[in-house]
Amino acid sequence: MKFAGINQGGEPQTVFAHERERKRPPMISLLDIAERTQTGEKVEDKTWDMCVFQTISELVKKYDLKFPGNCCFINTDDALVERAFAAGLECLERLGICCLTTRRRVRLTRDEILTAIREAPREILMGEGRDQRVWKQRKVEGRERLNVCPGHHSPYTEELAPLVVKNFAQIPRTDFIEGFNFTKVDGREIIGPPLEVYASRRQLGWMREGVRKAGRPGLAVVYYPINTRAEDLICVMDPDHGLRRTDGILLSLLPDLKMEQDMLSAAIVYEEYGSFKLSGSFALAGGFCGGVEGAIVEGIAKPLAAMIAYRDYIHYTGVEHIHTLNARQILLPGVNWARSVVNQALNRYTNTICMRWIIPTSGPGTEISLLEIAMQSLEAPLNGMNLYAPRHCRTTVNHGQTPFEAEWMIEVADAAVDQGIDRQTGNELLRRIAQRLEGEKPAQGYDVTECYDLVSHKPKPEYERIYLRVKDQLKEMGLELS
Amino acid sequence: MDQATTPQAEKELLDSLKVAIVEIDNERAREAARKVITAGIDPRKAISYSIKEAADEVGKKFDCGDLFIAHLVMVGDLMDEVSAILEENIPSDQLTKKRIIVIATVQGDVHSVGKNLVSVVLRAGGFEVHDLGVDVPSFQIIQRAKEVKADMIALSSLLTTTMPYQKEVIEDLTSMGLRSRFKVMIGGGPVTREYAVQIGADGYGKDAFEAVEEAKRVLA
Repeated sequence: MKFAGINQGGEPQTVFAHERERKRPPMISLLDIAERTQTGEKVEDKTWDMCVFQTISELVKKYDLKFPGNCCFINTDDALVERAFAAGLECLERLGICCLTTRRRVRLTRDEILTAIREAPREILMGEGRDQRVWKQRKVEGRERLNVCPGHHSPYTEELAPLVVKNFAQIPRTDFIEGFNFTKVDGREIIGPPLEVYASRRQLGWMREGVRKAGRPGLAVVYYPINTRAEDLICVMDPDHGLRRTDGILLSLLPDLKMEQDMLSAAIVYEEYGSFKLSGSFALAGGFCGGVEGAIVEGIAKPLAAMIAYRDYIHYTGVEHIHTLNARQILLPGVNWARSVVNQALNRYTNTICMRWIIPTSGPGTEISLLEIAMQSLEAPLNGMNLYAPRHCRTTVNHGQTPFEAEWMIEVADAAVDQGIDRQTGNELLRRIAQRLEGEKPAQGYDVTECYDLVSHKPKPEYERIYLRVKDQLKEMGLELS
Repeated sequence: MDQATTPQAEKELLDSLKVAIVEIDNERAREAARKVITAGIDPRKAISYSIKEAADEVGKKFDCGDLFIAHLVMVGDLMDEVSAILEENIPSDQLTKKRIIVIATVQGDVHSVGKNLVSVVLRAGGFEVHDLGVDVPSFQIIQRAKEVKADMIALSSLLTTTMPYQKEVIEDLTSMGLRSRFKVMIGGGPVTREYAVQIGADGYGKDAFEAVEEAKRVLA
């Protein structure tokens, strides 16, 4: 199978700028996308959703995508990866993207998709001065330490917010920090655009204050939208107190390949301003994409769609399941495997910069949560993903995460990289952790201040004891932790 | 009951209707529903047994990850179709009215996955559901609830900044003098039972399955 002009699994193709200009057509512009959201064919929600299901079901059969069995957590079948990528490409070509605002379909040609894949960068420069960092696409079974976003994407109260930011910025490996949500600002409930705009700017104010207090003023921050209205997305653009050109913004496509005009408006503005963009590009198994095999198809199509529609180049990618995101079950057969196929395909055939969103079903301060985080962090280097924001899947205010889970995530991923774990060995380790988690139920966990000391930047003694216990278990399983 | 329909034959017919719904075989399900009528079986039995059992089984299969949201939508459509065939043969004064729920993701929020899931599971659970979609203003929700004579309004919100719009619906209902007319159930990622109590909602669903049980409880 050939995907003309894009990587075929080898070293990155080097394309000089002048060559790129001469030989290759440019990526479809955001203004083209904007026009198509106004002129594409009309499509009703239910028609679209069922069309997604039908198309993806057909592609799963056509490309023979099948979960090999319960013991497979990491894919080692490269031929399957190739077929999965072909399926994802065809999915985007056949479906396009549904604009939720205008209820119109944005069609894309195969050439437009392939050009976008070729043109996308493989590295993003972010931050300023000595806090400047390069975020890179990773290799499957890579031997370089991963980039890290340690936290947020979680709600906090305004009293805690700046202190929490400072704590995350104090983690030496932090490359950028994402913002957070909150229900009150200056003691007022946030409702309606004026308060949302004010709250958005306060979020950035607290982020900038937090990184300054940690002694890392140049550290990149990423705006986590308070809401997805255009005014909320754009109002934070402010080099002095808000989002700098070297910072980023989260502009995610919705599940089932759906986009919004407000997000596109923001993408157009930030494209000119220069900030980098992130997207939540995982697929949700159990939804309209179908099971884990269908989620592979959407999981590959979605980051490509986000790249074209919003110019997102960094993505948290892969596959999650409706039941795990709802904390109904800790593990479901095939989800880890599907995630692995998606990321291997994106790494092999595109420049997509992938991240593993660590999203345990258990809350902070619990043994189950640390085991889940270990499992998910181990997957990252094996599948070529960076590390992103561990937090409880059912996060509520002040309850989603502490900096300690981020440090644990880094420790585990580093150990896997340093030990040189390959996919086979990784699979065995994951199987052992899964065995340990068998029969366990998601644990609710604790609020950040109950299990973590934000002043001295360390876990409470009981949480530390749990950590040492989990660490011993993993060492026994074969992970070489210090 | 038709002279030829033995209790055994009746059970087989009702089971075949159930299985056809679970397998989402539209043609077979329609045919089985018609056979139930021809055989002189009380159509209310088919509704209370075949459709209810099918809904329970589909719910279990979804819970195990064997079925997906798309299947629940298809099952919901099929159950409506089969119910219509059966209800045609029930005298109007003996028809059990389905409880009606209007559901929406509140204003300012375009997240649909959770709301869609609750919507299809409620439908499979025997409710008549009117799904208004996402980013729906309070007055539009209330207007629709009045139009369809809803028993309950179900509100979803994924963003902490759109949770207040759930409260707004309850406040609008109160100021319009309609609060006692509609029960209100809320849910969504950051929403908690404490918040539901705080804003005066009648029910809260942590997830789709809990929402169905909660709706049954609140509307009992």
